[in-house]
Amino acid sequence: MDSASPQPEEQAAAAGSPSEFLKNIVGKRVKVRIGSGVDYHGLLTCLDGYMNVALEETEEWSNGRKTAEYGDCFLRGNNVLYISVLEAL
Amino acid sequence: MASTILPLELVDRCIGSPIWVLMKNEREFTGTLMGFDDYVNMVLKDVKEYEVTPEGITETELGQTLLNGNNIAMLIPGGRGPKA
Repeated sequence: MDSASPQPEEQAAAAGSPSEFLKNIVGKRVKVRIGSGVDYHGLLTCLDGYMNVALEETEEWSNGRKTAEYGDCFLRGNNVLYISVLEAL
Repeated sequence: MASTILPLELVDRCIGSPIWVLMKNEREFTGTLMGFDDYVNMVLKDVKEYEVTPEGITETELGQTLLNGNNIAMLIPGGRGPKA
């Protein structure tokens, strides 16, 4: 490989774009709110461009009360209202 | 005609600025726009979520947030929310 030429940056999506955000939040604690207003707090293990989400150590919150706990949890993307990070990026 | 811009160019000019997002239902968000995509999914920071009910407006503060574009109805550049 030509050592003089720097490795080109991977063709990155614009900084701050949704795809960039999704890349940066894997492994972080997140709050996922679904359309009905129920929240899922957990450790984000993986996701995709549909906003399908897999969480670990998940807590389900509804009307300000914890209503369930799940070890692992998959949320189908069409239900997701937003994904919010709970810790610094 | 040279002065016309596409709708999403207008949104693009809002990046880095406050924006007020109204959803199809009684939910609203304000925040600083970090970016968006072709579906108008939006990344916001310093977010406040508002739920408008007959009893009043409940407010939730959020960190950096990816908002699903599916339920977005209207965007107001520079808007500070329903209470401002």
